[in-house]
Amino acid sequence: MSDTRAQPSVLRARPPASPPRQPRGYWRLHWRGLSVLIERRGMLALLALALLGAAVAALSLGQGSVRIPPGRVIAALLGAADAPTTLVVRQLRLGRVFAGAAAGAALGMAGCLLQTVARNRLATPTTLGIDNAATAFAVASVVGVSTSLAPAAFALTGALSMLALVFALSGPGDTRGYRFLLTGMGLGAICGAATNIMLARAPIDAANQAYPWTVGTLNNRAGPTLALLGWSLLVLTPLALVLGAALNVARLPEPVARSLGVRITQLRVGAIALAGLLTGLAVAVIGPVGIIGLAAPELARRLAGPRSVPVLAAGLAGASLTMLADLAGRTLCAPSELPVGIVAALVGGPYVLWVLLRTPQGALNA
Amino acid sequence: MALERPQSIKPSSQLTLLCAVLLLLSVAASIGLGAGAVGPLEAWSALGGGGDAQARLVVLTLRLPRTLIAVLVGLALAGGGAMLQAAARNPLAEPGLLGVSAGSATAVVIAIALGLGHLHIIVAIGGALLGCALVLGAARLSGRGDDPVRLVLAGAALASILAASSATILLFDQRTADEVRFWTIGGIAGRSLAQVMPALPAVGLGLIGAAVVARPLAALALGEQVARGLGQHPQLIRASVVGCVALLVGAATAMAGPVGFVGLVVPLAARWLAGPDIRRALPVALALGPSFVLLADTLARLVASPAETPLGVVTALIGAPVLVLVVRRQRLPSL
Amino acid sequence: MPNSTSAALAAHALRLAYRQSVVLDAVSVTIPAHQVTAIIGPNGCGKSTLLAGLARLHAPEQGQIILNGRAIQRLVPRELARQLALLPQHVLAPDGLSVADLVRFGRHPHTGLLRQWSPEDQAAVTDALHTAGLADLAERPLTTLSGGQRQRAWIAMALAQSTPLLLLDEPTAALDLGHQIEVFELIRTLTRAGKTVVMVVHDLVSACRYADHMIALRAGSVIATGAPRAIITPALIRQLYDVQCTLLHDPTDGTPIIVGAQRAL
Repeated sequence: MSDTRAQPSVLRARPPASPPRQPRGYWRLHWRGLSVLIERRGMLALLALALLGAAVAALSLGQGSVRIPPGRVIAALLGAADAPTTLVVRQLRLGRVFAGAAAGAALGMAGCLLQTVARNRLATPTTLGIDNAATAFAVASVVGVSTSLAPAAFALTGALSMLALVFALSGPGDTRGYRFLLTGMGLGAICGAATNIMLARAPIDAANQAYPWTVGTLNNRAGPTLALLGWSLLVLTPLALVLGAALNVARLPEPVARSLGVRITQLRVGAIALAGLLTGLAVAVIGPVGIIGLAAPELARRLAGPRSVPVLAAGLAGASLTMLADLAGRTLCAPSELPVGIVAALVGGPYVLWVLLRTPQGALNA
Repeated sequence: MALERPQSIKPSSQLTLLCAVLLLLSVAASIGLGAGAVGPLEAWSALGGGGDAQARLVVLTLRLPRTLIAVLVGLALAGGGAMLQAAARNPLAEPGLLGVSAGSATAVVIAIALGLGHLHIIVAIGGALLGCALVLGAARLSGRGDDPVRLVLAGAALASILAASSATILLFDQRTADEVRFWTIGGIAGRSLAQVMPALPAVGLGLIGAAVVARPLAALALGEQVARGLGQHPQLIRASVVGCVALLVGAATAMAGPVGFVGLVVPLAARWLAGPDIRRALPVALALGPSFVLLADTLARLVASPAETPLGVVTALIGAPVLVLVVRRQRLPSL
Repeated sequence: MPNSTSAALAAHALRLAYRQSVVLDAVSVTIPAHQVTAIIGPNGCGKSTLLAGLARLHAPEQGQIILNGRAIQRLVPRELARQLALLPQHVLAPDGLSVADLVRFGRHPHTGLLRQWSPEDQAAVTDALHTAGLADLAERPLTTLSGGQRQRAWIAMALAQSTPLLLLDEPTAALDLGHQIEVFELIRTLTRAGKTVVMVVHDLVSACRYADHMIALRAGSVIATGAPRAIITPALIRQLYDVQCTLLHDPTDGTPIIVGAQRAL
């Protein structure tokens, strides 16, 4: 074979003399051998979502039977307002707003992790049947299969076992995560049927008591569960961030990711377990509002761009969306109140349809 | 060409026998078994005019109407499911999964809330039509009709919107809530024949339509281009399928509430027994549908006897594992 | 032709199976260093499975694969990823990425949580983009590229991995003649620069022209290995593809060319 054949000129072109030190669109912080890349657009998105969350929270804290303007809300939070205002804001409303924000953040991060692992933007707590399972377990607890255990603990157990079951039954991953989704839907239908049996057979007052668990609301949050969610978020959020960064490479086709040295099975199991924990904790506080787990990552991705897995942004977006849904449910038909789960389904359902119908074939990959 | 009349579109004699035996057995079970203290033998003699007065009462006014309703519901849902699957060319296209039943149920809830409960057959059919048209139409408009899972997810989204709308109405209207509490789960307990009579013409019309449209539908199964080449009008076929499905599913929903998974499991079994040609699968599905609903309803009576389990719950408990199995077996998403 | 014939990678008595069905059995091959090795054979003979096995994507039931004197099963994933890059067939990138974004993924085995980007990483990416002729397209979204450009972007990602070994599964599938030649010339350039390339190729003529070494597979077994001009004969082609043909030789470089092929029954 002749070695003297001329090479195409484009292949011989040499790199410029002084290449840039970091990829375009990133900031690079470095110190000795250590270096960190910060994506500019992702950082700006985080900032914007944090501001949005703060604004919604202030608005939500001011809204209710007594209206308080945002300025005084902030004053009350800082302890600089009159006593009645401080009481209303801190004692009556802060818990509810915090519950919405925390549950929404957990659902948003869980949705982001699940979508990335399943490689499908429609893989969410709702579509995977996790909501249904948590509801079934909580209802079982309320209507008296065992009243001694808190429904929230049951909801958490239900969510976790469902997620494990879906993954075990759906077998080896397919490229678009469809098997996964349909298995979840099927199992979710079983849980839905079980919930219906229990509600139909329960005495009417037990059925009414179980009702909040079937729609998703911030009315019946329990203090200890909320505290558990709050502390767990403190621990799990950094974990989710690390996993999200590792999952970035796992978005490539599986053989490519593995040949890049990603331990994909371990990563997947870790992400799923974490997502299950986050979903379960959130559902235990707020009930089945898993659609937040679909909408929040979508919003986050839209703002933060395609370069990374926006776990934190999805969490912030989830917090804002949940607080907004709750705010809308409380104010739109005041004095009566729409549960946050119904508001989310009424807004989120059309959104799913829209995503499904306008996304081109094969491009639902997260 | 495949559109030539197949060697025989009549099912084989063994298959006919199987369906007939199954139907007989399930009818016998439905009449003979139940919560009351009337045993199978007593029930049969009561049917012939013998037995004591109580047995006659139970059998003639409770179990017989119920059996007839179950047969009607089974016919309607199996027929609707088979047609929908053939038209969408998607084994997962089921009235329940695609949100057709939910459309129908929501329409009925709205009608009852507005005090139009007496129109509920028409309203149910209208709602089914709307649900069907929405999900199939939207999928076609955006050219995503061939992606089976997307269609199902779109249906699930539609169903969740509709369920939330129903829930909103029920939240503000306690009277309607009480009236539909059991109906929305799906069940045929305690319905009289007089109540379901209005649904009869709809089922009949839907079945006749299905028989007529089966042949062009088989052509459509070869693909849009081929069907057009064979002188068919795909849009017209689809529109008539949507009409039939709406009639059948609407009527079934009006009779029994939203009963899911019948339209998935039965056509699946029919295709497995009779092959993929809709002209062969449709009669088999129609023969198996009543048996399936009858057996599910008998189970619903017995599982938690003396209490009733809603029919929709039983069909979901049977059908959902079937869905999971199908998903596991088939090579998705080409299905 | 480089005359170094030391083995870069070797498989011994390899047996690979999917569930019950054995795809490859008793396969022993050596991949010569700094050369282009082509794996050829009819559809379904196990070419891609062999490539995946060599990259450790597929755990062998029996036998082992030796890289630099060590069994690859013993290597930590990252360590292996610094030695060997694989590019499978029909790869789809996540939505919305630019060429440079994709190529940057190749640096994954060289970076870490607190060592996210060093000047060497940047240099490797720039170099890979230049080698693949994509320097001017670096910031373009992948979706706006032609098929050939996209394939080169993926190859550039594998190049940025800076591995001595490069495994490519049908790198020219679905490319037209011009783009095929572009990719094959790039591959040849890479071996001149010291890399070892293994590729699965469907087109026998291109395989003969661009490969230094060939492995012919049929029904899960190796039936011939060696330089194309030495092993490609009408008898081998008949054995591989059930095709009757005559061989000519390209007057410019002596590459075998198949003419008058017809199905042998």
